Amino acid sequence: MTLASLKHLSAHYATGADRFHALDDVAVDVQAGQILGVVGESGCGKSTMASVLSLNPGPSLRVTSGTLAIDGTDVDLTDPASHRPLRGGTVALLPQGALNALNPTRRVGAMAHDILAVGDKRITRAESLRRTAARLEALELPPRVLRAYPHQLSGGMRQRVVTALATLRNPRLLVADEPSSALDVSSQRLLVDLLRRLVSDGLVEGIVFITHDVALLSELADRIAVMYAGRVVEEAPAKDLVAAPRHPYARALLASVLVPEAGTRGRRLSGIPGAPPDLRVPIPGCPFAPRCGHAVDRCADQRPPRLVIGDRDDSCWRSAEFEEAANVG
Amino acid sequence: MTLLRHILSKLGWYAAAFAAALALNFFLPRLLPGNPVDTLIGQALRGHASSDTKQRVYETYVREFGLDQNLWSQFLTYIGKTLQGDFGTSFSRYPSDVATMIGDALPWTIALQLPAVLLGWLIGNLVGAVAAYRRGGFDRGVYLSSLFLTAAPYYCLAVLLLYGLAVALPLFPTGGGWSFGNHPEWTAVFAVDAVSHWFLPFLSLLLVFIGGQAIGMRSMAVYEVDADYVRFAESFGLADRKIIGYIFRNGMLPQITGLALAIGTLVGGALLTEIVFSYPGIGTLLYDAILNKDYPVIQAVTLLVLIVVLVANFLVDVLYGLIDPRIRAAERGER
Repeated sequence: MTLASLKHLSAHYATGADRFHALDDVAVDVQAGQILGVVGESGCGKSTMASVLSLNPGPSLRVTSGTLAIDGTDVDLTDPASHRPLRGGTVALLPQGALNALNPTRRVGAMAHDILAVGDKRITRAESLRRTAARLEALELPPRVLRAYPHQLSGGMRQRVVTALATLRNPRLLVADEPSSALDVSSQRLLVDLLRRLVSDGLVEGIVFITHDVALLSELADRIAVMYAGRVVEEAPAKDLVAAPRHPYARALLASVLVPEAGTRGRRLSGIPGAPPDLRVPIPGCPFAPRCGHAVDRCADQRPPRLVIGDRDDSCWRSAEFEEAANVG
Repeated sequence: MTLLRHILSKLGWYAAAFAAALALNFFLPRLLPGNPVDTLIGQALRGHASSDTKQRVYETYVREFGLDQNLWSQFLTYIGKTLQGDFGTSFSRYPSDVATMIGDALPWTIALQLPAVLLGWLIGNLVGAVAAYRRGGFDRGVYLSSLFLTAAPYYCLAVLLLYGLAVALPLFPTGGGWSFGNHPEWTAVFAVDAVSHWFLPFLSLLLVFIGGQAIGMRSMAVYEVDADYVRFAESFGLADRKIIGYIFRNGMLPQITGLALAIGTLVGGALLTEIVFSYPGIGTLLYDAILNKDYPVIQAVTLLVLIVVLVANFLVDVLYGLIDPRIRAAERGER
């Protein structure tokens, strides 16, 4: 069952006279009970997508088109003012850099009460604290955390407190924007287990996990979407994507990192030649064409179609041609 | 317990600072060139007395004021009397009691400044925090007008107000603490009269204070607005009012210092305000005392300022801990 469906999302940052086209007709679906991983290099638009998906676009971002179907409603993403009631309750954000996400002069319990009071103006403080204590307990935090200020908690505890607060109102969808990038390996492990448990216990129905860490995603995610230059170029079940990426960029990205699997030891790493394109000018064709070893003429000026085969899809002219040939034959 | 010990050790430092300032307070006015008795006699006898009479009057005054003793024994007398709460007699308005003179002037100064400082601090900081959070046109408007209020020379602002609201549009009297013919007493008529005289100097101080605080808070809050915790709070759809409250509390620490300094120097009187509006406060008193080398009055006023500054700073030290839990923790040695 599809929990949330993002369609036709295009957005740009207006910087003086320039427009920086951060997202170009992005579409992803999140299935109920699943974790969707979004991966890509810096500047590919994954954090921008996270901000739009969590209904928190930054002040300089202009969303020109896009809808998010969630919880039986279609949210018009071009109108940020209409989002406010859905924030925190329907869609919640697990932010980048959780260590500084807590207000240093507010006790955890008081902050939790502020958050719960957004959804229910008449909730009493005692009721807030009771519900928060229960949630903290589920994340193996003692109730004394309610009385603590952020500086009195360890880094790992703060990470869990932020997670507890983000899921406090039982959001349908949790958007995790690189929550693991500032953590050491063992804290990452804990976070990954925690997110899995949130989904399996039904505290949140689905998670979008954004990262540049392919190895982490291959363990955590059910499906993976690969982004490049503001577009989703390939989306597939995690295992299939890691085992057999189709889009040349996805293949190049996976070839440039080590995914722990049989045969990793003997592999040589290869990089991707060239640099990502300048997003200030709209790209008519495939954004990866200049760096792609398999590019043909039309890659440069015609946008490759999104080709859905079974439970995976990718946007590449070569895949489209193979498919055509297979159908004709 | 450690908190109490911490406060006690702070008190020790404040006592040392007080002792040093007390000594300076005595010696600094005496380093002024000239002699108060010369000024006094020059005014009193206007030259038509024989030099012999002059000499005798001079010696009487010198003995009466204790100026014939050496500096050291004068200092000991000063310390002894001060600790008993006796500030002596004024030189220039002999034989008025200094304590009474200050007692007469102080209520005017406090009534003028305390509301202006407190209200100005609150409004200025709120406006600054809101401007930083809202950004855009409101922010630019607040920033520019605050800059104008603080950067324009104060007397220009005061004179503009005076011209606009007392001369061109005579809503308020042009100066003084009360109308001619009236005199201070507890009646409704006098109260209305005093408030109408009070309003313009109050307004001028309030505007300047709002401007200064708004600029300070805005530049603090600009950093807070981009902090991760603000983004996180926004992601829950928290009301703007709530988020501005978060920013306000995190950005107000340096502003509290500003408030303490303002309250501390407040009792010294707003010299320019009191002069422009001929207001009967401590500022005017101190100004006259300095012109006449009236040592006891100067000393008493500066001592008053000194005590209030120290007390205000001490309170701020304690208050810091209440506002920022991290400071409290560091003081307790947690961390």
